[in-house]
Order: sequence, then structure tokens, then C-alpha cells
Amino acid sequence: MSPELSIVLLAVVLPFAAAGATPLLFRALGERTGYVGAAVAAACFGLLATQYGSEGAVELSWIPSLEVALRFYVDGWALLFALLASGIGTLIFAYSAAYMHGESSLSRYYAALLAFMGSILGVALAADLIAIFLFWELTSLCSFVLIGYHTDDEESAYAARMAMFVTVGGGLFLLVGFLLLSLAAGDAVGPAAAFDLAAMLEEPDAVATALRDRGLFVPALGLIAVGAAAKSAQVPLHFWLPNAMAAPTPVSAFLHSATMVKVGVYLVGRVRPLFAGPEWLVLFATLGLATMTVCAILAVASTDIKELLAYSTASHLGLMIAGFGFTSVLGAETGVFHLLNHALFKAALFLVAGIVAHETGTRRLAELSGLRRDLPVTALVAAVVGLSMAGIPPFSGFYSKELLFEAAVEAGHTYDIGALEWLYPAVAVFGSVFTVLYSLRFLALFVGERPTALGDVHRPAVLLVLPPAVLAALTAVVSVDPELAVRAIVQSGVDATAVETHEMHVSLPTELSPAVAMSAVTIGLGLLAYPFYDRLHRGIRAVLAAVPPIGANWWYDATVAALAGGGARLGDRVHNGLLRTYATWTLAATSLLALSGFAATGTPLPLEVGLEAPIAVALVLVVAVVAGLAVVTAPSHVAGVLTLSILGFMIAIFYILASAPDLALTQLVVETLVLVIFLLVIEEIPRYYEVDLGRVVRDAALSTLVGATAFVTVLVTTDARPDGTTAIARYYAEQAVPEGGGTNIVNVILVDFRGFDTLGELVVVATAAVSIITLIVMRPDRTNTADDATDSAETRGETE
Amino acid sequence: MTAFVLALVVGALFALGTFLLLRRDLIRVVWGLAIVSQAANVYLLAMGGIVEGGFETVPVLAGHGEGAPQTADPLVQALVLTAIVIGFGMTAFALVLSYRVYEEHDTLDASELGDRG
Repeated sequence: MSPELSIVLLAVVLPFAAAGATPLLFRALGERTGYVGAAVAAACFGLLATQYGSEGAVELSWIPSLEVALRFYVDGWALLFALLASGIGTLIFAYSAAYMHGESSLSRYYAALLAFMGSILGVALAADLIAIFLFWELTSLCSFVLIGYHTDDEESAYAARMAMFVTVGGGLFLLVGFLLLSLAAGDAVGPAAAFDLAAMLEEPDAVATALRDRGLFVPALGLIAVGAAAKSAQVPLHFWLPNAMAAPTPVSAFLHSATMVKVGVYLVGRVRPLFAGPEWLVLFATLGLATMTVCAILAVASTDIKELLAYSTASHLGLMIAGFGFTSVLGAETGVFHLLNHALFKAALFLVAGIVAHETGTRRLAELSGLRRDLPVTALVAAVVGLSMAGIPPFSGFYSKELLFEAAVEAGHTYDIGALEWLYPAVAVFGSVFTVLYSLRFLALFVGERPTALGDVHRPAVLLVLPPAVLAALTAVVSVDPELAVRAIVQSGVDATAVETHEMHVSLPTELSPAVAMSAVTIGLGLLAYPFYDRLHRGIRAVLAAVPPIGANWWYDATVAALAGGGARLGDRVHNGLLRTYATWTLAATSLLALSGFAATGTPLPLEVGLEAPIAVALVLVVAVVAGLAVVTAPSHVAGVLTLSILGFMIAIFYILASAPDLALTQLVVETLVLVIFLLVIEEIPRYYEVDLGRVVRDAALSTLVGATAFVTVLVTTDARPDGTTAIARYYAEQAVPEGGGTNIVNVILVDFRGFDTLGELVVVATAAVSIITLIVMRPDRTNTADDATDSAETRGETE
Repeated sequence: MTAFVLALVVGALFALGTFLLLRRDLIRVVWGLAIVSQAANVYLLAMGGIVEGGFETVPVLAGHGEGAPQTADPLVQALVLTAIVIGFGMTAFALVLSYRVYEEHDTLDASELGDRG
């Protein structure tokens, strides 16, 4: 079954349309706009659900001349991601309606959230590289607006800038990677489909071969990896994600755990069939496992609930990247299945964190414990999703983590990767131990003694508890019957991202295998180490505090400070306010570029000297040049203006001699006017201005360079003129009478054939006239001092 | 067919104009602009080929209904005509701007103006 263009298009456009209408909706509905958002998200979910089981590409022509189209590609992987985004979006909007109660600028909040949902659906469904990039950057922009929601809070602004800097910067790497990919795809699947990802995925081997033939395989892979790593918060670009927690909690749950940060993972899964190979394995398995371990350790060092969850999110994103990194089909199963599991449990955990912060007024781990009596339903929800995050059997996270262990063990089977074969499983286990530790720490919020310092804890509203409860229920369903999830959607997602097809089965292990042993070791070590959690927590913090350069934040701050300082210094140097500096650089650069252009194309300098110009013309022009020399050496302004006029009138005579009477007439009028204006103006300024000949040698050198460039350009271009009249000149000459009804061809061109250009010219002259009147007539209010007032009155009198 | 004389003249005018553009006196800078735009006009016209003036070569047809004779290129003339008018607007504006600057700051020295920020 192939997808319906109208339905897919509607699902992507609807959120954007709703975002545009939000200011109006908000005026009418106030805080209930959240319910409209939930309805829109639910509608998108419903629309996409009708496409369940379909596969194929549909397209809407966009820029046909460049072969760019708004193509959509629907398959299991795209649908999984789009359904997750719209489904969780529905819950988030409902939750927001309760959570954001009483906040200001909610109109902006809902508009950005809706636009974000449209962008994320766009990324999931787009099959065109350009469209993917545009939607990709749109998600970054929406994220910027939402992180910086508290506009007057310095920390929010800092976090928003940081997220923008990293994710949009990464997006630029992605763009270059896409362009390299499209170069190779043009070879492999034809230039018409150079940007068509769907066509590339039909012939992944041909595209990979074309990439290798051009030597672009590793560059394209690397650039796309940087883009994906920036978006999905992979080490060493993970630092923006914990800072992004300055956003309101529903945003953190939606953008910064369930959807936007998974876009990188999604893309890695999407292009996996094109790039799978030994380079892919080493790059992504290493990147993912490093992120998983480093961020799990940092999560243990966290003091804030949301910070803990943010590091944990980065760590789990690492797990998914590592899964896709392993080239076996088990790797694809890990990535797809964990994406689903993580979206369900982590969004729920953030919402739980939001409830805790909302009802207790604090997010500090140290101040919270024993909340199960105050928040019983929330505690139950947290238990289900928290144990799933830890990977404790039989909760859903266990199955996908088990798949990762299996994939890691088998990593060395397809390619020879040396010692990494042993290192990968070891690191996977090591990182997972910390996952168990921080998951238990999160659950400890609800058990133990209730600290007396904690004030009254309110019961959360039903709308706050319902969304995480729904997610926890779904997590429970996947936990009890993982095969159900596999049959429903995971299998089709795996088919889209795996190189070979394989029927996927997940169940609780019944016999001992290396992966089962690894899981046992992980959980056992985690439980054993938990009593020493505080010591570990303090130890990691002490190391981080002692050596700041370990933290990626330090590098970010140093880089931004260096860029800002360097930019300011460069600006001062280049932009020093002196006209001559700008003129020098502009003219010198233009000349050198033009000359090097001639040199690069090997343009021969015409050596035969044709005189072309008759003696009379030459004589007039020589007089013009002499007049120019006189202008340069003119001692006073009056002398300069008069010699400048001589130059202009000589040019007018040149026009007469060169068969251009219209030009001569215009030139004479203009020259007369210019002379009058000049004389009027120089009457108002000092007659004699000292001719400062400082740096005259340098100026003469630059002038010679510019003159030489003009000389060479005229020689080269007049040499390349077509012989006789050009077709266009003939056309105007022939059509002047029949089409324009005039015998003066130049006039007919100006007022008839190119009438709109002349209109533009008139606008320019009119603008200049209005500006001149403004400059002369309008005066700043200077009546404050008597002297100034008389001054301006005098000048006004003189001007008149 | 190269236009050696025209190339020399355009080159010389460009050099003189550039030299004036780099002066500290704003009025001289305006002169520089004017000279450079004159030179550019000459260059544009040269691209159409210079045909010595005469009754036959002027791009004005003798009357309605007759065949089109070989005339000087009318297209470059139309371009240059536009350029002359625009150049006039620019020169006038730059000049009045300099005048206004002098009124405000009591100086026409570009370096001094630049130092004031």
C-alpha cells in the first residue's frame, strides 16, 4: 500500500497552520489553547495512523528546475518516529495546559511548540535532503525559542544560545554532508534524483560505491555524523542538553528527551543502509558507547532531578547510536526498539520530575525523598518507567539493552576490529552499571524518610498525572508483551534501517548466553555499588571541579569568549571608521580578483594595437585626461570644480563624435546641473582646503593598480566583442518602428522596450532628490543654546 | 579589434578617480566618484564599438516604414544614458551629504570624521 500525499501533507502542515493561528486562538481561548494543541497533535496522530502499514514515496513539486521537491517517504521507521512525536505531543499539550497555568507569554509558547511538532513530523517524513535539512534547522529554531522561554532570565538566554550554537552549527556540517551525498547520488541514481533520499535508499549499494569512487565516503559520513552528534548530544557535544533544561519541563520532556534530540539518531538510522561498513561500525559504535558511559557517569554526579534526567537522556541516545553503529541486524533492532522504549519511559520520567518540582517547589535531589505517601500515583508511574530505564527485567528497557549487549558481543564477527571486539562489550557493561545507579537514585525520591524541611506537598491535578500514567501504561504493555510492540511497529522500523532482513524476536532469556551474563553482571554491580552512591557522587564532582577542562562547558565558554573577543578585535581593525581604509580594501580586492580571474582563465592579452578611435576622438579624450589631472592637482575647490566640468564637457563631445547624440544631450544637461550644484555648495564651505599629500606613494600605487586593471579589462573585453551588430541590437533597430512607433531607437528602448527599467531609474533619481531636500531642509532641534539657533537660522537663510 | 586608445583613457581616468577617492577632503572624494563613473560610461560605450559620427550611423531612423540601417549600437547607448542620469543623482547626493557633514561637524576631513566614531 502506498501512502496518500494529501494525508501526509496535511499532517505536516496542520501544526504549522495551528502555530500561525495561535495568537488569535489565544486571544479567544486563553489558557485553554493547550487543549487545541492537544487536539491538533491528536489529529496528526490520527492522520498518520491511517497510513499505518503503507510504504513508499509521494512528492509535491517545489523547485522543479533544481530537482528539489517536497518529497515524503513513509515506511515503518518514519511512521514510528512520526507517531511517537504526535502521540507524545498530544500528552505534552494536555500536560502543558495544567503545568503552565498562570505563566506569561503562553501564546509564544504554544505557537513554538506547535511549529516544533510540524518540523519534527517534517524531518520524520521528508525524503528530500534539502527538505530534511530545512525541517531539521526549524526544530533547532523552535528549540531555541522554547529554551529561552523565560526571556528575562540570563541563564535561560545563555542556555538557548548554547543550544542554538551547537545544533544549528552541527546542522551546517550536515548540509555539507548532504551536498556531498547528493553529488554521489547524482552519479548513482541519476541527476534527477540527486536529492531524493527515497531513491537512494532503493539502491544503497550503488550510492555507497559512487561515494567511494569519488573519495567522498568518509567525508560525507563524517560530516553527517557531526550533524547528528550535535543534535543528539553525543560526546563531546553533549553539554548543551543539560543546559537546555532551563526550558519549562513539558518542553524538556517533548523536545529534549522524546523527539528533537532523537532526530540525530533517526537520521543515523535512516542513512544506515547507505553507509554501513567498517568505518561506520568504528565511528558510531565508539561515539555511542563513549557518550553512553560519560553521560551516565555525569548523571551520577548530578544534583538536580532534571540535570540527572538530561545526562541520562544523552547516555541513552548514545546507546541508540551505538546500536545503529553495530552493523549486524541486532544493531538495528537495538536502535529502533530502544528509541521506542526510551521515548516512552523518559518522557514519562520528565513529566514525573515536573510534577515533583511543581508540587514540592524544589528540584534538588538532596532535599527530596519519601514522596510515595504524598504522591502515590506518581510514585507508581515512576517505579514502572524508572525500572525500565535501569534495564531491570522484565521492564521494557531490559530487552533493548539486552539487544545492545548481543550486538556488542557480535561486533567483531563481521569486520576485523582488533581489540575493540573486547572493548565494546566491556564499555557497554561499565556504562550500564552507572545507568542502574542513577535510575535507583531517581527512584529513591519516593522511598525512605520524608525530610522534615519539605513543606506541604499538594496533590497534583489529574491532567498532570494522566499523561505520564498513559506513557507508563504503554511501557508496561511493552514490558509484558514485547512481541506485541515488535509486531506492531518495531519490525517494520528494523526492516527500514537494517541492511538485511531478519525476523525479530524479543523475550525474556531462558538460557545463559554472553548477553545474559552481561546483564546479570550489570545489575549485580549496580546493586552492590548503590550503597556507595554518595561517595561516587562526591568523587566525580571533586574531579570535575579540580580540572575544569574535563568539562565540555569549559571548552564552550572558552571558544565563545575567544570568538567574541577575536570578532571584536577584527571589527575594530577592519572597521576603523576611515573612508580611505574601506576604499583601499574594496578597490584593491576587486582589482586583484579581476586580474587573477584573467590569469586563472589564461586570457591572452591582445598585443595587436588597433587604434579604432579616430584622431578627433583621441584628441578629445586626451583633453579629458588632462582635465582629470588638473582636478587631482587643483589647489582650491573652485579650480577643481571647473576642471571637473571641462572633463565632463569633453566626454560630451566624445559622445557626439561617437554617434551618440542622445548621450551628448544628457551629458551636457547633467554637467551643467552638476557644475551649478557644486558651485552652490562650495560657496558654503572653505574655499581652500589644504591638500594633504600624506601617504601619496601608497595611494599612487593603488591608483596605478586600479587603472591598470581597468586598462587590461577594457583591452581584453573589447578584444572579445562579437563582430558587427549583436542580435539584440539588430532586434531593437528593426522593431523600433513596428513595436515602439518611434524612430529614435535609444529613446524607444528607454521608454518602451525597457520602460520598467526607466521607471526604476526615475525612482532612484526621485529618492536622491527627496534625500537631498531632507538633508538641506531638516534640522535637528538645536534651540537649546542661543548660539546654535542663530547659526542654523543663518545657514538656512544662506541656503535659500 | 581592440580599443587601445580607449583602454588607455579609461585606465587613466580610473587611476585619477581612485587617487581622488583616497583623499581626506570629502569634496575631492566626490570628484573621484564622478570621474570613475564617467570612465565607466566611456567603457560601456566602447563595448558597443565606437562608430564615427555621421548622418548614417546615428541610431535614429530616417523615417517610418523604412528598413533598419547599420547604426551605432543603440543598446549600449540606452545603458549609458541610464548610467549618466543615475551618476548625476549619486554625485548630487554625495555632494549635499558632504555639505551637511560640514555643517554638522565643521570639517570635511574624512580622517577626522572617522576618528569621532
